[in-house]
Amino acid sequence: MNISGFGMDTISLAGPLEAKLRAIKGAGFSQVMLKANDLVGHPDGLDAAVRAVRESGLRGTGFQVLRDFEGLSGHLHEYKVDIAKSMLQMCEALGCKVLLACSSTSAHATQDLDKIAADLRKLAMLALPLGIRIAYEGLSWGRTVNEFTTAWDVVCRADCPNLGIAIDSYHIFAAKTPLDEIDYLDPSKIFLVQLADFMWQETKTFEERMTTARTFRVFPGEGVHSEALEELVLKLDRLGYAGDYSFEVFNDDYVNLPLPVVAERARKSAVWLAEEVLRRSTPLPNQMRLRSRPGAVSP
Amino acid sequence: MSDLLVNPPSDREPLQASFSDAANPLGLDGIEFIEYATPKPQALGQVLEMMGFKPVARHRSREVLLYRQGDLNIVVNAHPLDAKAASHGRETPSISAIALRVRDARAAYQYVRECGAWEVPTHAEVMELNIPAIHGAGGSRIYFVDRYKEFSIYDVDFIPIPTVDQKPAATAGLHFFGVVQYIGPERSYDWMEFYRELFGFELIPDEQRFGIMPKGTLLCSPALDPANSFMLQLIEPELNVVDADEKLQRIGLGVPDVLAAVRELRQLGIEFVETAAAHTESRGAITKTYLGSVVFELVKSDKG
Repeated sequence: MNISGFGMDTISLAGPLEAKLRAIKGAGFSQVMLKANDLVGHPDGLDAAVRAVRESGLRGTGFQVLRDFEGLSGHLHEYKVDIAKSMLQMCEALGCKVLLACSSTSAHATQDLDKIAADLRKLAMLALPLGIRIAYEGLSWGRTVNEFTTAWDVVCRADCPNLGIAIDSYHIFAAKTPLDEIDYLDPSKIFLVQLADFMWQETKTFEERMTTARTFRVFPGEGVHSEALEELVLKLDRLGYAGDYSFEVFNDDYVNLPLPVVAERARKSAVWLAEEVLRRSTPLPNQMRLRSRPGAVSP
Repeated sequence: MSDLLVNPPSDREPLQASFSDAANPLGLDGIEFIEYATPKPQALGQVLEMMGFKPVARHRSREVLLYRQGDLNIVVNAHPLDAKAASHGRETPSISAIALRVRDARAAYQYVRECGAWEVPTHAEVMELNIPAIHGAGGSRIYFVDRYKEFSIYDVDFIPIPTVDQKPAATAGLHFFGVVQYIGPERSYDWMEFYRELFGFELIPDEQRFGIMPKGTLLCSPALDPANSFMLQLIEPELNVVDADEKLQRIGLGVPDVLAAVRELRQLGIEFVETAAAHTESRGAITKTYLGSVVFELVKSDKG
């Protein structure tokens, strides 16, 4: 069985960082998506948190999340650049190669796609010397960019090698973006795929999308969108996406359950995807190249 | 038939490279100096002297020496904190900074920060120059210097070593040719974009190579005076090698006659690599590695 392409997200679990890492590792995962407040909230400080991650043996899928960065001007822009720099430094300390940036929800931000693209290009340039890639994600309640199709448009306009998109199944289903749009993406520019399901058929308003996204997502295969999720993953696979899948599952129940119970649910989900949906074999010889950037697509 | 076709414009005047502001946004005009950081400045000084450099001045407040020959300036920074930071605690010397000549240092600094460069806090002491800097590859820095014509930055920050010739001639016509940067796997496009966006570097086609070490990607800097332009060579690790380390690896020096230069430098004590894979020829040569990390490459080049 090969679930190495799938990882859990610290946000699905309650408790201190070390316990989360132990539970994730214990369920057989080899990677973890890290969130800033897991680290800065560590009682012994950031350095201790970084050490815990490095000693866990888990690879950082990525680091999240930079919010509302793009489209601002003047002192707001300067402020966000400072925040971005601090996030990038944490990301580098953790050895994570991907920083997740979400589309802006701010009414103070411009809706001009070229200005948004220029800001993201600047963000990518900041990340570049550190060897970090920026994965730009369209939140389904983003003000201007709220579907991955628009996020892709912006990424193409910005045209920077270390700027790509992040796909989140939740936002695709919530916004009802047609899955055929996946076929127009360049697989080498998809830097991260986050998977989650949920229990409602419809999420019409931005408020509803936001509440559901933050409190009631479930692991792939546990919700009512399993078929669509299957189709999404298969489409990405056919497209040639060979990068990581991370379970972005915010759930108010899960943060009230023992960690191994939640991690076991995640594992079931990963096994379902790896064995039944993608039918992944054991690692192929060409996946075992000694590259420092796992999952990167060769040109 | 249009007379443009009979007399194509290139017949009237030779086609010129672009010298527009767009092609050279910083008014880049070559390398002012290259800085090594090392906890063992004397050992590095010996190697530099074998390469024909002469120590000419000392920094006013820090443990820093200036070596020079012809138009080449090398700064050896032994300030303990700098030496430790630039080499990540290793004992071996590292190329810790490149200082670029620009039209207006303030404007250049402003421009690159707008594009997304990281500024480096400077530590100028009283009556010293506050030279702006940004982060470059692997902990190295890129300085911007605009006072290089009418007066020299060294007149302010350095005190000449008494009785020493301040302008020693270049051995065998040595001049800056370029810098070789090691980059992580699959990082070529990233760094090409970095140097293009911030400085206006242009890609040299793969069929055009200089010297005897042709690997990787070659970029050429814009320059106000074309003679001051220099090269950057970006080299990724071999496919199955784990080495994501990024650093400025060596300096490339141009000489009009490689074989003559090799003869002259050998007499000063420098040894060159002579193996089947890399050996001295009229196109170029490479020195052995000194002190665990210091290498110079010679490339045939008529400018300078």
